[in-house]
Amino acid sequence: MKIVGQLIAYAVFMVLVGWMSVRPELRLLGDEDAMVSLSFSHAARRVGECKRLSQEELLALPPNMRKPDECPRERHLLQVELVMDEQTVYEATLAPTGLWSDGKATAYQRIRVPVGEHDFSVRMNDSGVEGKVDFEYSTTISLQPGQNLVVFFDPAIQQFRFQ
Amino acid sequence: MNHLGSLTIFFGWIVLVSGLWLLIFFRTSISDAFDSLEYLTHQQWYLGGIMRSLHRYASDAMIITIALHVFREFSRDTYRLTRWFSWVAGLPLVWMVFVLGISGYWLVWDELAQYVAITSSELLDAIPIFTSKMAANFLQDSSLSDRFFTLMAFIHLIGLPIFLVFGIWLHVFRLTSPKINPPKRLMAGTLLAMLVLSLLFPAVSQNQADLALAPQTIELDWFYLHAFPLVQIWSPGWVWVLLTGISTLIFLAPWLPPGKALKPALVDLDNCNGCQRCADDCPYGAIQVMPRSDGKRYEHEVVVDPDLCTRCGICVGACPTATPFRKRTPLVPGIDLPGSSAQHLKETIDEETETFPLVLSFACTGSAELAWLQAHDKAVVEVSCVGQIPPSYLDYVLSRNRAARVLLTGCGGNCQHRFGMDWAEQRISRERDPNLRRRVGTDRIAMAWHEPWCSTGSLNAQLAILEKQAVETGE
Repeated sequence: MKIVGQLIAYAVFMVLVGWMSVRPELRLLGDEDAMVSLSFSHAARRVGECKRLSQEELLALPPNMRKPDECPRERHLLQVELVMDEQTVYEATLAPTGLWSDGKATAYQRIRVPVGEHDFSVRMNDSGVEGKVDFEYSTTISLQPGQNLVVFFDPAIQQFRFQ
Repeated sequence: MNHLGSLTIFFGWIVLVSGLWLLIFFRTSISDAFDSLEYLTHQQWYLGGIMRSLHRYASDAMIITIALHVFREFSRDTYRLTRWFSWVAGLPLVWMVFVLGISGYWLVWDELAQYVAITSSELLDAIPIFTSKMAANFLQDSSLSDRFFTLMAFIHLIGLPIFLVFGIWLHVFRLTSPKINPPKRLMAGTLLAMLVLSLLFPAVSQNQADLALAPQTIELDWFYLHAFPLVQIWSPGWVWVLLTGISTLIFLAPWLPPGKALKPALVDLDNCNGCQRCADDCPYGAIQVMPRSDGKRYEHEVVVDPDLCTRCGICVGACPTATPFRKRTPLVPGIDLPGSSAQHLKETIDEETETFPLVLSFACTGSAELAWLQAHDKAVVEVSCVGQIPPSYLDYVLSRNRAARVLLTGCGGNCQHRFGMDWAEQRISRERDPNLRRRVGTDRIAMAWHEPWCSTGSLNAQLAILEKQAVETGE
């Protein structure tokens, strides 16, 4: 009887381990869904122009800190908008990283969308000028089931790309 | 249930050995990682495939035994007071095991790995110390490097296991003779079960990862990845709140509320000859043997560390001077338990055996057996642990005809103080000092260790058998 009990205990243990290591399945996307992944890092423009220091101002500084221009480190907020079929699917105002807010701002968002042909537009403001669109890119893409469409800003060509 | 900790370590051995085999054939690059595991799974199924399955299933089984181990110690209240250290030291072990398991799934580089890589990166990105998003690396093949696999392999194969071994050492640091290996039969049965499972349901990869595609359906390992779906349902931040909240609660559990501090065992140097038996028997290493300090002719004396003493009384059971036959009053042994002293134990025995019960029981504090015996007006002596009873007390009960039979019971089959039941059994069977005197027949002493889920009905039946034996032999 004891042996039977032990065998049952081992069997239950095996079934539990075997079952829960793969089941139940996790459904991440529907059959008619695709994914749009917006992901990039970009350094917005600095909040102010560089100022050329006068001779007096330079002399007032320690010798190792005498640079002809004094530039503000802080950068503007980055405003990003992704529009699909005239519907805004992502909109964010992103702060620059770093203790002095002088680093890049990072956008990352994954959006589940239905398959088929869609009109996409992505806009970015990095100058801090209200209402201005500094970068914009529009395209029409036909999405397949399970496709992962990556939207990113290519710093080499200073333009958005859809891949 | 008594070997959950050691069973976890045994699963760890299976994971280690099978992992070493996988390491020989595993190639750490984006294109080769998946293929090398496919080769092991299909071409070398008879060895590599089984090793891979053992690696996965033993890892999963570890989570079950860890969860049961934590639940068991919590339910038995063996995590407070002096035992807080092992409890707290166990928490990083749980985190390390999870990180090991999760990082292992990255290395397969199938659709599940892709999901795990993105989701765990999103979790890490939620920690506000990283300036760029790690998850962005797993959206395009061009942003992924072979060296990343080398890094993951290093973390999974060398970095974390080293910390894990150190963590296990720290976890059992305060225990005397920690049980590292489960019984051989249990090891054999468990290994066989894992092998059968590996043969019947071999672990396989899912479709190869393709960052141009988003996985639609995946077979999730719920043991390690149960929190991952919450990242999509809630947000990475809330998942961190949940995980750190649970961890903080577990961390603080020994002090929520703090256990009632009890006085530790007390050494009386006038009666201690430094024989060291108490130090040998203490399950927590709370008794140190030191050079004699009082000028007596003995070489050693013992010192109790109050920070380690759990007040189990096993040291009193090991003390040869704790004998009720001593003429001195009050009875003061070399080491004693304040509040449940050797003198108190003798007085309780005398009180309970005034009417010559056929059976006198000794039962552990807090056990269901003690409650049942007291509720049914049976002659019973409450002890902190059955290991607290010096064999001379059993001799006293039986040779002085204070009862016909003695029953030791309590703790529901799982000794609250690790070795109390073992030491009691070995002293009675005369395998461990101090021995039960030979004039006492061991057939007059019974021991009943019931599993917690067994009813106390079997205890009643055992008492009836003992009473019947006593009547039949005319005692």
